[in-house]
Amino acid sequence: MNGQGFCYARGDPVLQAQKVSKIYALGKEKVKALDEVDFLSTQGDFVVINGPSGSGKTTLLNLLALIDRPSQGEVLFEGKPTSKLSERDLAFLRRQRIGLVFQTFNLIPVLTAAENVEYPLLLLNLSRQEREQRVRSLLEEVGLDGLGRRRPDELSGGQRQRVAIARALVTQPRVVLADEPTANLDSTTGKQIMGLLQNLNGEHCVTFVVVTHDPAVPPYAQRVLDIRDGKIQGERYVADRPA
Amino acid sequence: MNLKLALRNVFRNRRRTLFSLLVIGVGVTLLSFVLGFVAEALRSTERSLALELGALQVGDARVLEGRASGLEALISPSDLDKVVGLVRTVEGSRISPQLNFAGLIGNEKGSTLLLARGVVPEDCMADYVCMLVAGRPLAEREAREVVLGERLAGKLNLRPGDTVNVAAGTVNGTLNASTVTVVGTLRLSNAQLEERFALVPLGFAQRLVRTTGVERVLIWIEDLAEAPQVRTQLEQRLKDAGLSFSVRTWQDLSPFFESIGTFWRAFSGLTSLAIFVLVFFSVLEVLTISFLERTREVATVRALGVPWSRVFGNFVLEGMAVGFLGGLAGVMGGIFLGLVFNALGLTFVPPGGTMPQPIRVAVGLQTLVVPFLLALLATAASSVYPGWKNARLNVAEALRAV
Ligand SMILES: Nc1ncnc2c1ncn2[C@@H]1O[C@H](COP(=O)(O)OP(=O)(O)OP(=O)(O)O)[C@@H](O)[C@H]1O
Ligand SMILES: [Mg+2]
Repeated sequence: MNGQGFCYARGDPVLQAQKVSKIYALGKEKVKALDEVDFLSTQGDFVVINGPSGSGKTTLLNLLALIDRPSQGEVLFEGKPTSKLSERDLAFLRRQRIGLVFQTFNLIPVLTAAENVEYPLLLLNLSRQEREQRVRSLLEEVGLDGLGRRRPDELSGGQRQRVAIARALVTQPRVVLADEPTANLDSTTGKQIMGLLQNLNGEHCVTFVVVTHDPAVPPYAQRVLDIRDGKIQGERYVADRPA
Repeated sequence: MNLKLALRNVFRNRRRTLFSLLVIGVGVTLLSFVLGFVAEALRSTERSLALELGALQVGDARVLEGRASGLEALISPSDLDKVVGLVRTVEGSRISPQLNFAGLIGNEKGSTLLLARGVVPEDCMADYVCMLVAGRPLAEREAREVVLGERLAGKLNLRPGDTVNVAAGTVNGTLNASTVTVVGTLRLSNAQLEERFALVPLGFAQRLVRTTGVERVLIWIEDLAEAPQVRTQLEQRLKDAGLSFSVRTWQDLSPFFESIGTFWRAFSGLTSLAIFVLVFFSVLEVLTISFLERTREVATVRALGVPWSRVFGNFVLEGMAVGFLGGLAGVMGGIFLGLVFNALGLTFVPPGGTMPQPIRVAVGLQTLVVPFLLALLATAASSVYPGWKNARLNVAEALRAV
C-alpha cells in the first residue's frame, strides 16, 4: 500500500455518517451544532468540507475521527457502526486506522521531529528497525530530510505541519482527518501543504478528509462539501486540481 | 521512549522542577539525618547497656529480677564451675562472675552509703578502663583496692593513693570492715549511681562478706541480637545439668530500653510521616500545575489513540522521576550532612548523666534507603490524582480549548 500509487480498495466505504446530530447544552440553551448530517467517504477519496466559522466543521470532524460521539445518528467506520464500541475500542481504531492533523500542529514539544513521528508507532508492537525505517521514509516524503533531530520550536510552521502529516501517516491508516491544516500558515505555505496532502493521497491510497474555511483549500480536493449551520448544503466535484 | 518523555517533561520547567527537587532533597536529607541519629542513639544505648550488664546474666531468678539481695541466693564455687563450663560452649563468649554488696564507706571525717561491685579485674576491667578518670584500674583479684565513682570520691574528698574504710554486712548477718586503698576514680553514665558506686576485686568482696560464692555471672557475646537464642540454649543446658539458675538477657534486665526503643521508633515514624506529607503536598502542587499546562498535549495523544491508562502511567512515571532525582540528591545530601556532622565531633551530657557523650549519626544503607523509597512513594502518590484527572479529560472539549 506504501507508495505504489495504486489503490486496490478504491471505492470501499471508509467513513460514513448517517443522520448524525450533535447538540451542545449551553446552560439551559441547546445548540444544535450538527443537524442530521449524512456523509460518506471511500478509500482513496479526498474530501474537503468547507464552511464558515461556527458552521459545525470541527464538530463533524471529531465525530468522524471517533473522538466524540453524536447525540443522534450513527458513524460507521469501514462499514461498521461505532456507537456501541467502548472507549478502548475507539482508541484502538484511532491509533490503528485513523490519522489526525490539527490546525495548531499539536506536536509534542519535548520530542524531536523524528520522535514525534515515531510516537504513534510505540503502541503498535513494531520492531525498532521497522519504526525507524518508516519514520525515515516518511520524513523524506514530506520533505524534512535531515531535520529529524530538530525540536518543534526549531522548525517553521510549514515544517511543523509536515511533521504532523508524517505522524498522521506513519501508522498507515485508512483515513487522515485534518482540521483547518492551513489556518496557521501563510498562503504560500498553505498551498504547499495542500499540494503535499494531494500527492500523499495519490501515493498512499489513504482517504483524506479536510475541513476548512480557507478558500484556497477546496481546489485540491476531489470532492467539496459545503456546510452551513450544521447542515451539508451541497456537494461538488473539482475538475481542475492544481498539479 | 516513555522514560525519555517523562524525563524531558521533568526538565521542561526548570524552576518548578528545581523547587520540587529541593523540597524532596531537603526532606530526604533531613529524614536520613534523623534516622541516622536515632539509629546511632539506639546503638550507643545498646552498647553501653550491654557493656554494663553483659549480653546475658546467669543467677538466681529472684536476684536477677531484683526481688532478693545477692547475698541471699549465691552461686556456690562448684555450681559456678558448672555454669562456666556450660557457658564456655557458647561461641565467642566472655564470662565474668560478679558479687555486689551494699555497705558504708568513709573515714574519720564522715561516711556514706556504698554500692560496691566485686569484679574479676582481669576479666572485665578493660570495659571499665574507658570510664576511669584518674588513677589506674584494679590490679588483681585479692588486693584491697577500690575504684570509686568520681562523685563518691569527691564527696569523701578522696584521691588515688588515699585509704578509706569499707564496712558491709556478711552472709551470716554480722558486720565486717576493712581498710582499702583508692587506686582510681571512674565515671558512670548514671550520676546518682556514681555517688555511691565502687569497684572492688572479687576476692576482696568475697572475704568482706564472708562467702566463697558469687551473685551472678555476666556473659558477653559478639552479636547482641543473638542474646535471646543463647538464653534459650543456656536455660535448657542448665536444666539438663540439674542447675536451677535462670538466664536473663540485657533487654530483660533493662526494661526501659524497650520504651526508649519505642520512643525512638515513634519519633522516626512521625518524622517520616511529616516528610512524606511535606513532599506529597509540595509535589502535588507542582505536578497539578505542570500537568494542567499540558492539557492540549494530552488531548492530542489521546486523540491519536493512546489509551488514558498509558497517559496516566506516564504522568506517574514523571512524578516518580522527580522523586528519584530528588531522592538521589537527598541521599547525597544525607551522606554529606552525616559525614560533616560526625566530623564536628559534637558531644553532650545526657540528663542525669555525667560523661559528655559523643553525638554521632549513622550514615549507611539503613538510614538512606527508607527516605529514598519514601520520596519515590510520595511523588508517585502525588502524581496519581492530577495524572488521573488529566489522563481522563474529554478529548474533544480539550482540543477545542486554545
Ligand atoms: N462544547 C461546546 N459547547 C457548546 N457549544 C459548542 C461547543 N462546541 C461547539 N459549540 C458550538 O457548535 C457550533 C459548531 O462549532 P464548531 O466548532 O464545530 O464550528 P467550526 O465550523 O469548526 O467553527 P470554526 O471555523 O470557528 O472552527 C458553534 O456554534 C459552536 O459555538
Ligand atoms: Mg473548527
